[in-house]
Amino acid sequence: MTLTQPPVPQEAVVAEGGHSPTPVVPAPRGRRPHLAGAAFLAPAVVLVALLIALPFVFTIYRSFFDDNGFTRSWVGLDNYVAMFTDPAFGQSVLNTLFWVVGTLVLPVGLGLAIAVGTWKLRLGGLARFAVILPYAISGSATAVVWTFMLSTDGGLDTLLRLLGLDPLVSQWLLQWPLNTVMMIIATTWQATGACVILFLVGLQSIPPSTLEAAQLDGASGWRLFWAVTFPQLRPMTIVVVGISIVGSLKVFDQVLLLTNGGPGTASETLALTMYRETFTLSRYGAGAAVAVFLTVVVVAASWAYLRRQLRPASN
Amino acid sequence: MPDPILGGHLVTRRTALALGGAGLLAATLAACARGTDTRPSAPGTVTLNSDNPTWGPGYDAASDVLAARIGYRITSRSVASVANYNQIIRMTAQTDSTTDLIKWTNGYRLQDISRADILTDLNEVWDDAVGRGWVDEAQRESFTYRGKAYGVPLYKSYYAVFYSKRAFAENGIEVPSTFDDLLSAAQTLKDADITPFLSPGATTWEAEIWFMQLLASVDPDYYAAVTTDGASYVDDPAKQAMEVWSSMYADGFFSAPDVTSNDLPGLVSEGRFGMMLYGTWFANTLLAAGLTDDDIGFFRVPPMSASTRPAVVVESGSLSVPVKAHRRDAAVDVARNWLATDVQEAWVGFLGDTSPNPSALPKSDLVTALASDIAATRPVQLIRYWEASPTPLVEGNVQDLGSFMVTPSPAKGESTLRSMEARARTEWKIWNAA
Repeated sequence: MTLTQPPVPQEAVVAEGGHSPTPVVPAPRGRRPHLAGAAFLAPAVVLVALLIALPFVFTIYRSFFDDNGFTRSWVGLDNYVAMFTDPAFGQSVLNTLFWVVGTLVLPVGLGLAIAVGTWKLRLGGLARFAVILPYAISGSATAVVWTFMLSTDGGLDTLLRLLGLDPLVSQWLLQWPLNTVMMIIATTWQATGACVILFLVGLQSIPPSTLEAAQLDGASGWRLFWAVTFPQLRPMTIVVVGISIVGSLKVFDQVLLLTNGGPGTASETLALTMYRETFTLSRYGAGAAVAVFLTVVVVAASWAYLRRQLRPASN
Repeated sequence: MPDPILGGHLVTRRTALALGGAGLLAATLAACARGTDTRPSAPGTVTLNSDNPTWGPGYDAASDVLAARIGYRITSRSVASVANYNQIIRMTAQTDSTTDLIKWTNGYRLQDISRADILTDLNEVWDDAVGRGWVDEAQRESFTYRGKAYGVPLYKSYYAVFYSKRAFAENGIEVPSTFDDLLSAAQTLKDADITPFLSPGATTWEAEIWFMQLLASVDPDYYAAVTTDGASYVDDPAKQAMEVWSSMYADGFFSAPDVTSNDLPGLVSEGRFGMMLYGTWFANTLLAAGLTDDDIGFFRVPPMSASTRPAVVVESGSLSVPVKAHRRDAAVDVARNWLATDVQEAWVGFLGDTSPNPSALPKSDLVTALASDIAATRPVQLIRYWEASPTPLVEGNVQDLGSFMVTPSPAKGESTLRSMEARARTEWKIWNAA
């Protein structure tokens, strides 16, 4: 039994196993069980406190200082004021918003469409395999492949010229917002597979009887999906959308490797702004301020979304 | 039946958790232990940290000579990521976990960490080296902060034009001696369907290269002034440089800005390479790629007018000694002998680049001809833009220049200079207040 499973009724144990149950000895009341519980919880609590809570508190503390790694002086909210008044920061927030919307529409939407569309097809497995395969490639390798594809006179431009579509040839990674859109598409190519897998798990958990009943009632195609299948995918959709929101808010590797946030800071996201301030400019206080802002956004978005979606249904 | 994994008598869940916890604790404690890289090195050696993992054989070659001179060898280690390396040095150089020697940059990046009093003053080493004719006294300034020299030159590279000897010969082009000749050569190459200049930099540090060279060609004194808060980025020389750069783009002289310098060997073999303005340290990569002196040559970018003094941009790394180095005296001794002619001959013999010691030349004729030209013409030597101003100012301005390379219109040139000037006002204020 895991800690998250509900307690199994005693009768069920008897019925399943066929053996007489071990007599239940009431737990001794006192401090001992609490201490044992605390001891088991301690490693996890200590790890979370040391590796997450403490650094976060220190990051908040550091964001109030002008800190170059050698000397530190208190500047109050100056780092936050500078951050919010920097036009590059506004661009960074806008790009991050693009990523959130883009990864919700593309990988999640396509993942759902592919999972539902290929679920019961004869060669569906093959189609799904083709979509899932890029998921096995690391983010860095994906970025290298797409750099080759999207650079000037790269794979995509060559293909377009071959097809006589010369007017479509572009500087895919050099013009904003085209570069952000193309990076989202590159990420979609890789991330859709994960969404497909999760939605397939969700589809397999739908009782066949409900689908058969709906079909007997005359539902099919779009109506069957919208009125019967999709509502039953809700738990999985919540998970996929939640993961997608958090992932897109902190997107970093693809942007760093494909455009380095440029040209200028045109395609920078919040995670990249944080990295630039901290590791390129060695302005640890300013970087900490961006980190705090990013954390607040991620936690607030996750909390607002999950609170709304996981609210117990009222009877 | 007992659970085959956890439910038996041998391993209960509690035992498994206890073992896992103990293992985790042991791993944590082990991680806190001091690694071999942060302990004092073996007798007769000093440690050196660098961000260039390919230079190991060069340090070994120089060590053979150093060992004969002073009985010490360099044990080098490296961190390939420049960003990671910078952070590691900033952290470890304050502690006794530092290596005995560190590779750093000169100019304002060196001044930045010198302010923390973590590096040893090497003025005495400079006096000695200058006295022996091992290094040009003029270079000392870019290693000095408030009267103390915090490093000696680890290497010395120039920014010059790599050109294809084959393309020049086939199209009847002579090595340019004036800026107009340079533009004329570019036009001839373009007419022959060869992109005249390979010019990376849309999203990289390389965006600075043409900007700093054009400023140097317009007015070397202005370059020195604008990079040290002595002039404005919207003054006439900067405007002229941006106009020339923009017009060269309009004439189709540059490649797309998202090419990489690594494309060069391939383009040479395809006969599609013309020229590239770059650091001479790149010669090492080209020689390793199989190119020879017959394929590639170098020349300096000439001044924009006959009345302007010739100027060349210099890049130089710093060999510095942290105050908390385990073998600090030995490290200072290595720094003292690093610029000796025989040590430098071994070093540049590996690098294939020029040396801070004018007497030490690599075996390859590729750089030797350029070094002879510089010795003969004695151009003004300007510190590279990357190190010539405070880091946040340079990083931001180089990003602006990358944007300009993507949209190189005259209007964008003007707005780029305005943005650079606004950043300069802010960043100089911060630098001077620190």
